[in-house]
Amino acid sequence: MPRDVPAWSRRRLLATGLSAAGLLATRPARALAPGSLFRVAELVLDQGTTSRPEAWKRMLYEVIQSTSVECDPNPVTLSPEDPALFAHPFSVLVGTGALPALSEAAVEQLVRYLSYGGFLLVDDASGALDGPLARSVRDLCARLFPTRPLSPLPGDHSIFRSFFLLDRPVGRTARASALEGVTLGATTPLVFCADDLSGALDRGPDGRDRYPVEPDGELQRREAIKLSVNLVLYSLTSNYKHDTAHVLELMRDGRLE
Amino acid sequence: MSWLVGDALGAGGHLAWTSPTPVIAAAVAGAVLAWGVAWWTGRRGGQAAPGLRLAELVLWALALSVLAVAVSGPSWVQEQGREEPGKVVVLVDDSASMGVREGAGPRGDAVARILAELGADDADVFTFDDDLHLGPPAGWDGRGTDVGMALSAVADRYLGQKLQGVVLITDGLDRGALRRGLQAESEAGRPLEDAVPALPGPLTVYQVGAASDLYDVAIDEVVTGGFAFLRTDFTLTAKVRGPPGLKVPVSLSREGHHLQDLDLSLDAEGRGEVSFTVRPTRVGRFAYELSVPVDDRDAVPGNNVYPVVIRVVRDRTRVLQVSGSPSFDEKFLRLFLKEDPSVDLVSFFILRTHEDMGAGWGSDELSLIAFPYERLFTEELSTFDLVILQNFDYKPYFDFSANELLGNLAAYVRDGGALVMTGGDRSFDLGDYGGTSLADVLPVTLNVAGPRTDPTPFRPVLSAAGKVHPVTRMGATPEESEAIWSRLPEQDGYNRVSGLAPDSAALLSHPSATQGGAPEPILAVREVGKGRSMALMVDASWRWSFSEAAEGRGNQAYLHFWKNSLRWLVADPEDQRVVVTPARENVLLGDDVRIVLRVRDAGYLPVEGAKVSGTVLLPSGATQPFEVQTDAAGEGGFDLHSTEQGAHRVLAESPGVPGKAETVFAVSDRDPELVEIIPDGAFLQRLAAAYGDRGSYRAPGEGGAPLLDPTAGRRVMDRSETALSSVPLVGLLFGLLSSLAWLLRRRAGAR
Repeated sequence: MPRDVPAWSRRRLLATGLSAAGLLATRPARALAPGSLFRVAELVLDQGTTSRPEAWKRMLYEVIQSTSVECDPNPVTLSPEDPALFAHPFSVLVGTGALPALSEAAVEQLVRYLSYGGFLLVDDASGALDGPLARSVRDLCARLFPTRPLSPLPGDHSIFRSFFLLDRPVGRTARASALEGVTLGATTPLVFCADDLSGALDRGPDGRDRYPVEPDGELQRREAIKLSVNLVLYSLTSNYKHDTAHVLELMRDGRLE
Repeated sequence: MSWLVGDALGAGGHLAWTSPTPVIAAAVAGAVLAWGVAWWTGRRGGQAAPGLRLAELVLWALALSVLAVAVSGPSWVQEQGREEPGKVVVLVDDSASMGVREGAGPRGDAVARILAELGADDADVFTFDDDLHLGPPAGWDGRGTDVGMALSAVADRYLGQKLQGVVLITDGLDRGALRRGLQAESEAGRPLEDAVPALPGPLTVYQVGAASDLYDVAIDEVVTGGFAFLRTDFTLTAKVRGPPGLKVPVSLSREGHHLQDLDLSLDAEGRGEVSFTVRPTRVGRFAYELSVPVDDRDAVPGNNVYPVVIRVVRDRTRVLQVSGSPSFDEKFLRLFLKEDPSVDLVSFFILRTHEDMGAGWGSDELSLIAFPYERLFTEELSTFDLVILQNFDYKPYFDFSANELLGNLAAYVRDGGALVMTGGDRSFDLGDYGGTSLADVLPVTLNVAGPRTDPTPFRPVLSAAGKVHPVTRMGATPEESEAIWSRLPEQDGYNRVSGLAPDSAALLSHPSATQGGAPEPILAVREVGKGRSMALMVDASWRWSFSEAAEGRGNQAYLHFWKNSLRWLVADPEDQRVVVTPARENVLLGDDVRIVLRVRDAGYLPVEGAKVSGTVLLPSGATQPFEVQTDAAGEGGFDLHSTEQGAHRVLAESPGVPGKAETVFAVSDRDPELVEIIPDGAFLQRLAAAYGDRGSYRAPGEGGAPLLDPTAGRRVMDRSETALSSVPLVGLLFGLLSSLAWLLRRRAGAR
C-alpha cells in the first residue's frame, strides 16, 4: 500500500516525476493568505542567545520539500515580552550560555503562550552537556510550570514519529540520550534539545554547512534534519501519531514494535 | 275502641315522636302561651267564682296539652322478627379475557349455563372487574380483574349475615394481588387461609375456559432497555407463547419497514424467545414492531403484535476530521476536540502530497500510513456524527471515485449527518468543489466569479441572524455576543464564494466586501434534509483562541464558538428549540393520546404565544394537520384520537424558529387485559383450597351444585307504625275539654 495516496495513477506518476525534477527548487507556497503560512519566531534575549535564521530556513525548506505544510521560510525575531509572539505558535530559542532571568511579564506571557497552544524549542548551541544554559533552562521551566519540571521524553513520544520514524535525537552533537520537555496534559509545548540541532542545520553565506557534525558526520546531519521536520510536524499535529489508527497500521507494517 | 286510635295498638310496642324537635318545642310553647291568654282574659270571672275559674284553667291546660301532643307526631311503633333462609351470592367475572374466543364462541358463554344450573333466580348476582356491580354481565369488556376485591366486597356488603353460599365464576386471570399472594404462600409452604378474605358462606369456584380449547399465539413480552446508543448494537428479545411445538416466524419492522424475520420453535410448554440485533444509525425515537402471523383460529389477534418505542441516544459524538495540510487551524481544532470527553475523534491529516514525494526519503523512514479514504467515505461514513473537511482537496485522493465518494458525503448529510468545511488553499473553489454533489449540501454556492480568495486581513462582523443563532452566541444577550465578536482578532484572509445556498443563513459576514448587494458570507449554516452543514471561509479560527489568550482572556471565545457549532451541528432531537413529545409511547387503539409541544428561544427559554403547526403522519400514509399556541410555560398540546394501528410520526415546526421537531408513538389493539388469556385453574384450585371444607373448585364443564350451608339463615324484622296525631280520639278529647272549659268560663262570668 502506498503512503498517503490510494494507488499509483497516471497523474501521481506525473506528479512524482515533476517533484523529482524540481528537487533543487523550493516549491512556491500555497496559502489562503500570507498569515496562513507556517513561520518560525526566534526568541532572542539580551544575552545567552544567538540567532540562526539560516538554520530555520533550511528546516522549513525540508518541511516544504517533504511535507504538505505550507511555510514562509523567513523567520521573525522577537523578545519573549513581545505580544506579537501570539501570531507565531512555533518559536525557537537558541542558547549559547546561561540565560538572564526573564521579567515577570515575559514569564507570564510564556506561560500563556505555552498553555494555550504555542510551542517553544530551546536549542543548546553551547556544546556543553548540562552546562550553564541547561541549568538556566531548568530554572526557567521551574518558573514557568513549577509542578511540571523539564523531563526526558520517552522514546515513543509523538515527536519521534510525527513524520519520520526516529530512534534518538541528534544535532550537531549526539551526546544526550533523549530530548527533554515540559508536558501539559497530552501535549509537550516546550522541548529542550541539548545537541545543538540548529548547529546541524545552519549554513554559511556560501550556502555550505556552517558546522561539522560529530561523531557521525553527514548521516547524523540527515537525522538532525529529520528531527527538525518532526518538531515542526509535532507542533502542528501534537499527539496525532499516537491515534490508534496510526499505531496499529505502523505496527502492522513492522515499522513500530 | 280501636277506631278511636286508628288501629289496634299491640302490646310490646313503644311510643315514638315523629315531628322534628323544633316543631315539638313550638307546640309546647304555643300551648303555654294559649293557656296564659285564657288565664289573663278570664281573670275578672275568677274573682266572682274562683272554683269555676280553677276548673276552667285545668280544662284549658288539658285541651292544649292534647293539641301539643298531637302536633308532636306521636306514633306507636311495633317490631317483630322472623327467620328466613340465607342468600346465595354469585360473582361473575366480566373482564375482557372472558370474551376471548374458545371453540365456537366466547369463553363467557359458559357463564349463562352455570347460572341456569344454579337456578340463580333467587340469588344475588354481581359482576366484577376492578369493581363490583349489581346484576348479571352485559358484556365482556371489564378491566383489571380483581378477585380479592370482589370477595372482600361481598364480605362487607353481607356483614353480619350468614350466606348459604358464595359462587365465583371466572377464568382465574386475576390482575389483583390475590393470585400472586396465594402463589407466594403456596410456594413458601405457608397456610393459604391467611391470604384470602373471610367470607360469610362457603365458596364454590366455577372455572370457565380451558387451555385445551384455546388456540392463541402471542408475543407476551419484548425485552429492551427502552433506549439504545447510536451505532451500537442492541437487542429486542421477543417472548412468544403458543401451542407447544409450534414453529412460528417472528418479524421485526420499524415504522412500516420490514427489517428481519427469525424462525422460532416453541418448547413443550408452548414458550420460546427470539432475539433481534439492531444497530441504529440515527438518534431520535423509533417505533419497532415485533409480530407473529395471525391464524384464523387465533383467540386474540391483537396480542400477535408487540410495538415498542426505542429512544436512540449518543454516548459520544463521533467526529471525522480530515485535513489536507497540517496547520495551526487543524492543530487547535484537534486539541479542542481531543480534550472534549464527549467526542470520539478520528483525525486524518494529509502530511505529504504527490508533490512532496520526490524529497528522497525512503518509505521505511516515514511514519506515514495510507489514507483510507474509500473506507471512510463509504462503509464507515455513517458511523460519524460530524465530518470536518479542513482545507482538504478531494481530487488527489478520490481519483475516479470522486463522484461516488462526494455523493456519499452529500447523501450522508441529507440523511442526518453533519458537515463542516473550513477555508484554506484547498477548500471551496480552490478545492474544485464547485459543481460537485457535495456543493449541493453546502450553505454557500461556489464557482465564484473573479478572485477565489481575498488575502487582506479583516475582522468578521455578526449578521442579524448571527446575533441570535446558537452557533455564534458568545454572551447572554445579543449585544454581549456582538461585543465579544467585535474584539476578536482579525483573520488572515478568506475564501470567496458566490453567495448563500437556499435555506442557509450567514452568521458572520465580511465587514466591507459585498456581492450582489449583500455582504460576503464568512460563516454560514444550513439545514439540508435531515442534516446540517456549516461553512467557515477562513483558515485561522485558531487566532480566536491564541490572540485572546495573549490578552489574558483565555481561549473561551474559541471554545464557545466550536462547542456551539458542535452542539448545533449534531443536535439531538431533544435539544431542538421546538420539541414534541407524546404523553405515552404505546397507545391502545381507540384511546386518546396527548401530544405536547414546547418552544424555546435562542437562549432556550420558554416562548409564550408561539404558534406551532405540523402534521401527524398516520400508518396508512394519511396526514392529520394540527396547530397550537404555547402558554406562559412555552407549552401547548392537543389530544389525538387513535384510529389506526401502527407507528404515528409527529412533525412540528414554529414560524421563525429553526429546526423541526419530530417524535413517534405506536398504536396497537394490544389490550393489556388480553396479554394473558390462558385460564389459571391452578389459582382457582388454590383459592378454593384456602377455604378448606368451606371451599370447592369446579373444573370447566364440570358443573354441579355449589357448596351450601343449610344452617345459614337470617332474621328479618317486620316493623309497623301507627300515627296517633290524627286519630279521632285526639279531636274528641280536644273538643270535649275545650268546650267544657268555655262553658265554665261563661258560667264564671268571663267573656
